[in-house]
Amino acid sequence: MRYKEFNRNSVLEKCIPLFWATGFRACAISDIVEETGVNRFSLYEEFDNKEGILYAALELYKERYAQANFDVLKKEGTPHEILFQFFNSFLNGKQQDGCFIMHVGTELADNDSKVQTFLKTYMDEIEQLFVQLLEKDSETKADSAFYARNLIGLFCTSVSFCLIHPTEKRERHIKNGIQVILNKKLNHA
Amino acid sequence: MPKVLDQSYEELIKKAQILFWKQGYKGTTVQDLAEHLDISTSVIYNKYSKETLFMDSINYYITTCSDPFLSQLRESTTGMAGLHEFFNGLITALETKMFPRSCLMVNTVVEMRTENAEIVNLYDKYFDSLITSYGIVIDKAIASGEIKHADKRDEYAEFLLGVIFGISMIFKASGSEACKLYVKEQLSFIE
Repeated sequence: MRYKEFNRNSVLEKCIPLFWATGFRACAISDIVEETGVNRFSLYEEFDNKEGILYAALELYKERYAQANFDVLKKEGTPHEILFQFFNSFLNGKQQDGCFIMHVGTELADNDSKVQTFLKTYMDEIEQLFVQLLEKDSETKADSAFYARNLIGLFCTSVSFCLIHPTEKRERHIKNGIQVILNKKLNHA
Repeated sequence: MPKVLDQSYEELIKKAQILFWKQGYKGTTVQDLAEHLDISTSVIYNKYSKETLFMDSINYYITTCSDPFLSQLRESTTGMAGLHEFFNGLITALETKMFPRSCLMVNTVVEMRTENAEIVNLYDKYFDSLITSYGIVIDKAIASGEIKHADKRDEYAEFLLGVIFGISMIFKASGSEACKLYVKEQLSFIE
């Protein structure tokens, strides 16, 4: 084991809000050094390069923060209630509103294939959790995959343009979206 | 209202817009702008400012990119077909790389959130014009019987507001086929 003077995860914990607020491109290695108090040689030794820090930060965010929001989807309740709580969990978290992975994805997925793959895996995972939730309810069971695919769109919306709206307006949009999607059969009967 | 641009300033904004589109607001330095626009950094500091160039780039996008798309949508006589055409047109623009990168408006809202009041203000207006345009097309589709639930008009317009954000992210993550399916299915909720 190599001796490390710094704790890997506590460095990443500081990088998440830094990348989130400043943007990855705009963030120089000197900013990371200043924020974390770790010198650039140690950072490069641990993470290879600036991208390496980002990829590790994405992993940590997913494990520590997104996962807690994913757990909401495993709770008991009607799909309407649970989905509303899930979308809101990204808007009332301990960190800033929105989703770090979707934020980084928006900035970099066009040009960075690792970020693109990470984003896709992440969205697929959420879609799978939607399917599991919808399968538990007799109303949505038969078309769970269909609903889940379309609810992913609502997730994208809730962590993108909803961010500029006040709470009330955000919640209205999310509730409305869930209703239009899940009431399809009702509306088309 | 976006200010009227004189020819040379418009050229400048066209170039600045491409850079902001590729790199985002924060990822673009005054130095980058100076090199890209072929003017000195002091001219940017003294005459324009990075923020002004950015705001005008967004305004320029709305006037030249978004408004023509939206007025075409509003004038469409075909109701639902007009909506399909509108959203699929966005996917085609992404596919053919007509844009330097995925939607500038979506990228900007995620990057800037509520940090800048002027941008929030601009977005509110932009969203209003989207909702109004969707409402007009929905009315036509209700009149022609394509949409059955006339009472859900406003719900549907609000719902459609989300579609472009879904398109942008789904295109990044999963590509154009997934996007086309998404548009088709999203519209099936209101048809």
